[in-house]
Amino acid sequence: MLLKVGVVGLGKMGKLHFMNALHMKDVKVLAAADQQKSNQQLAKKYGIRVYDDYEKLFDSEDLDAVIISLPNFLKKDSIFYASEKGIDIFVDKPLARNLVEAEEIVQKVRTQDVKLMVGVNYRYFDSVQKIKNILDEGGIGDAIIATSELIMDGPFSHPLVPKPVPEWWFDKEKAGGGALLDLGYHLIDILTWMFGDLKVEFSTLGHRFNLPIEDSAIAVLKSPKTGISCVVNVGWFSKMIFPNFNFRINLHGTVGYVSTDQFAPKNLYLHAVKEGALNFLRRTMGRKVHYLSYTYYYASFAEILDRFFESVRNDMQLPVSLEEELEVIKTVEAIYRQNGVLKWPL
Amino acid sequence: MATVVLTKANGFTQNEIGEAVSRALDTLNYNFDNNNDLVVIKPNLCYYWDYSTGETTNPRVVSAVIDWVRQRIGKDVHILVAEADASAMRTKYAFKMLGYEKLSREKNVNLVNLSEGEIVDRDVIVAREKYILPVNKILLEASLIINVPKMKCHRAVGFTCALKNMFGAIAKPRKYVYHSRLAHAIVGINKIVKTNIVLVDSMVAVGKTPKKIGVIIGSDDALSTDFVAAKALSYKPSKIAYLKLAMREKIGNIDNINLIENSARLKDVKKEFPKQNYLLQKLSWNLQLRTLRTYARLANDVIPPILRE
Repeated sequence: MLLKVGVVGLGKMGKLHFMNALHMKDVKVLAAADQQKSNQQLAKKYGIRVYDDYEKLFDSEDLDAVIISLPNFLKKDSIFYASEKGIDIFVDKPLARNLVEAEEIVQKVRTQDVKLMVGVNYRYFDSVQKIKNILDEGGIGDAIIATSELIMDGPFSHPLVPKPVPEWWFDKEKAGGGALLDLGYHLIDILTWMFGDLKVEFSTLGHRFNLPIEDSAIAVLKSPKTGISCVVNVGWFSKMIFPNFNFRINLHGTVGYVSTDQFAPKNLYLHAVKEGALNFLRRTMGRKVHYLSYTYYYASFAEILDRFFESVRNDMQLPVSLEEELEVIKTVEAIYRQNGVLKWPL
Repeated sequence: MATVVLTKANGFTQNEIGEAVSRALDTLNYNFDNNNDLVVIKPNLCYYWDYSTGETTNPRVVSAVIDWVRQRIGKDVHILVAEADASAMRTKYAFKMLGYEKLSREKNVNLVNLSEGEIVDRDVIVAREKYILPVNKILLEASLIINVPKMKCHRAVGFTCALKNMFGAIAKPRKYVYHSRLAHAIVGINKIVKTNIVLVDSMVAVGKTPKKIGVIIGSDDALSTDFVAAKALSYKPSKIAYLKLAMREKIGNIDNINLIENSARLKDVKKEFPKQNYLLQKLSWNLQLRTLRTYARLANDVIPPILRE
C-alpha cells in the first residue's frame, strides 16, 4: 500500500525526514509546509507541492501520515490539527515542552484515534539495539549501573552553508528547556525503554553559555522496579565537527559490562567507505539500500521513520509507545523541578 | 616602519593575561597623537564557540585591553566592544554566550552590534575594481580602533588574523555572499576601516587541534601582524591570496617590520602551533564532498542536510 505523506517543517531535521521519506519504498511525499521561502526550496526542487502553513496543507491534501518537524512551541497545535483530520503523526522529540502539554497531546490523539510516534531515533542505533539484546538475553547478568553520555553542540552545530541558529532555541518559553530536554530526552528514553520508569535521585544543570536554558545536565536516576541506578550526562557545550560523535551507553551487570562503544565504528571514515560500497552493491543487485548507514549517526533517523511507516501501513502497534514518552517527559520535568526551574505552564 | 611584538604570558589567569597584554602594548610604544575620545575594540566572535576552542577572542584578553586603554588614555575614555552579525552568528547571542555581557557589566563598557544602528555604504577600489561595503558609522567615527583577532587556520582563506577579523566588521550579516571575492572584501574593508592597534589573542591557538600556547602579539599595523602570524603558522604570506592582494594594494607596511621578540620567539611559536596543512585539508574536504555526491547519486542514498550546499 502506497502511503501518502506530508512533511511539516523543513528546517534542519525536517529536511532530513523529507529526504528520507522521498527515498522510501511505498511512500509518496505529496506536499510539505514551511513558512520560510529558503526552506521551501528543497521541496520545490523535487517537484513537491509546498504550503506556507500546515493548516493549508492539512486542509488541501489527502494524507495518510505526516512528519511534524516543528519547533517545540508549535508541536501541540500542529498535532491537534493533524489529528482532527485523522492523519497519523510522526513527531520529532521531545513530544512536548512539558508534562501538561504532553498529556494534552496524548489525550487528543487517543480521542481522535490516530497514531502518534515520537522520533526517538537513538533507540535505533545498531549499537543500542545490540546492547539491549545482550541485556535482555542476560549476557551481563543483572544490570546494576547504567551510565550514558551525549555531548555535542546541539542547535549550535555549524552547517556547511552557514545559517543562523533559529531564535526559538534561545527562548526558554518556546523551547521548553535546553540540553536536558533536547539531548537528555534521548538518553532518558533509552534508559526508560530498557529499565522501566525512573525516579530522580540527584540532578544538576549547567549554564556555561549564560543562556536562560541549561547547556549541560547531569542526573542520577533509579528504577524502583529493578533497583538499577542510571547516570545521564548531557551537554551542548562541545564543538563537534561531523562525523565526530560523542555518545555512549554503558551497562554494568553482575557478570560483566557492555558498552555501545564496543559496537560503534572505530573509524567513521572507513565505516563510511565500507557502508557506501555495500549500499552500492545492494542497489546494483536490486536490494534495499540502508539509507544513511554510511554516516552511522543519521542512519537511525531513516530506520525509525521506516518503522513508523510500516506500522501505519499495516495498522500495527507502534514500536515507541506514548506511555513511555510520558514517562520520559515526567522524568525530565522532575529534574527541572529539582533544580528550581519552573515549567511553563504549571 | 611597523612594529610587531611577540610576548608570552606566564599563565592563563586574568592577572597573567593582563601582564602579557600590557607588556605587548607597552613595548609597542604606540604614539597616541590624536584625541582618543572613542575607542572601539573589535574581538573575533565568529560563532558561538567558547574561547577555549581557540576560535573566538577570550573576554579576559579584551578585559586586559580595556584596562590598558584606561591606564594609557584616561579612565573616562569611551570604550565600545563591537562585533557584527555573521551568516550563522547573531551578535546579541554571541555577546551573551561568550562572556561579553558579563565583561560589559564588570568593566562598564558598552557592547555594540555593528549590523545595527547607522550603516553607510562606502565605496572602495580594490585591484582597480569598485566595491561597495556597508559599514557601521561608529567604525568611521572611532578615534582609535583596537583589533583583537585570533590567529588560526581557516578552511576558506587558509589563515586568518588581523585583516580577516575586520572582514567580520562588515555590517551585512550574510557575509557568505562575499566569499566568491573574499580576498577583495577583506582588503576592501581594511582600506575603509583602518586598524590602529592590533592585539592578537593566541592564548589558545587552533590549527589541527586547539592548544594553549599563551602567546600575545601586539602591533601597530594589521598587514605586518598577518605577515608575521602567517610565518608563525608556517605559511608563506605570498601564498595566502588576501595577503598577496593586501601587499599589492599596499594597505600596510611590510618592507620594514621591526619584530620584537619580547618573551616569545617566532621560531618557538612556529614549533608550538598545532599546524594544519590548509591546502591538503581543503582538497581532502572537497574530494570528500564530491565523492559523497557521486555516491549518493549512484546508490540513490541521502545526503544529510548538514552536508548539503
